[in-house]
Amino acid sequence: MNFIKRLFTGLKQEADTPVTVDSSVAEEAENSPVTAEAENSPVTAEAENSPVVEEVPEPEPAPSFPDVRNVLQIPVISESIFPENSDAVLIKAQPSPTGDQCLFTANRPLMSGNSWFFLDFESAEGSPLAEGLFCLEDVETVLVCEYTVTVTRKDKTLVDWVPLAKEVGAAIRGALEGGEGLIAEKIIADLPSEDEIREGIQKVIDDEVNPGVAGHGGNITLMTVRGNSVTIQMGGGCQGCSAADLTLKQGIHTSFRKAVPKVGAIFDETDHTAGLNPFFS
Amino acid sequence: MPKVNTFKVKVQTGQQGMSEPVHFNFNNHKLPFENVVGSAESGKNFEGNFEVNSFAHSLTLVGPGSGKWEIEKITIEYDCENEKPYTIQFGAVTLDEATEVNIWQDPPVLAFDV
Repeated sequence: MNFIKRLFTGLKQEADTPVTVDSSVAEEAENSPVTAEAENSPVTAEAENSPVVEEVPEPEPAPSFPDVRNVLQIPVISESIFPENSDAVLIKAQPSPTGDQCLFTANRPLMSGNSWFFLDFESAEGSPLAEGLFCLEDVETVLVCEYTVTVTRKDKTLVDWVPLAKEVGAAIRGALEGGEGLIAEKIIADLPSEDEIREGIQKVIDDEVNPGVAGHGGNITLMTVRGNSVTIQMGGGCQGCSAADLTLKQGIHTSFRKAVPKVGAIFDETDHTAGLNPFFS
Repeated sequence: MPKVNTFKVKVQTGQQGMSEPVHFNFNNHKLPFENVVGSAESGKNFEGNFEVNSFAHSLTLVGPGSGKWEIEKITIEYDCENEKPYTIQFGAVTLDEATEVNIWQDPPVLAFDV
């Protein structure tokens, strides 16, 4: 259609403009088959007789969004890492990918049903397990939960956990073989109920954490409370964010422990690789 | 995020199976398995693998086009570049036309005795 319009306009301009034509060229043009064809062509005839119609641009197709995929996350079936019915105290060390923490798993319970976070040496008073660990120079914090101890080290620049892990293993083994209670009786006696933990954590999420992360389009949901251990899920902009680990450790952990000092382990069950556009994929 | 050379899947189907070919979704590309043995029909075992040679961003097992697929157990053997081959097991899950299940797990972090 544009072609016809251009042709029609061009013909009209030619008709209006006085043109000096070389007679030989004009003669040649008159006799040329192309000109004759053009004069008789239906296109020219149609263009002369029909009114010029403005072309209506076709509407642009709606932008296509990726399909929302519903990906289920199911737990991995883990096989026991220790031989069954072993009398010896067996401990495995597993450094975290970030290198600042190391998880120690023993083949016997260290604190059944609950967990406790020891912030410093003073907080470890009366708890032989934590006292032994804080005697080690590089231990910053200690979290005891069920069969595990998570140790954070002071020197974040060191990557090799083997030397410190061996010392931590010896301290855990020593506390277990000591025969005393591993955690101070006062701590066990004053453990809060699940409802108290749930109420306190939900309040700090609503009043402090979520208003803070909302600026980045994120949100935190309290999923479960078991004993004094809580499990949260990071959603919105937090899910898959490259700074999620920093937000969790420096923001959420600090807020939770400040508002609810007796909260123990804080688990994050967010799958940071799921979703439509995660950073960690 | 390691480079996956190959992976092999074994799926044990429960009471409700499906007769369609089993597909997986690697980095949002839906593909059928290769070297398939068995089927995903009720009570049967399915085995299939795929030579990927690419970095894993996401890997899911895709549900049937219609109906439901009751899975009892999924076992995946991964062969990744610069990693020892490792095996991951998942438990029961039911998939349908709207769901997929994540079957990707990073190589296990090295643990040592202390």
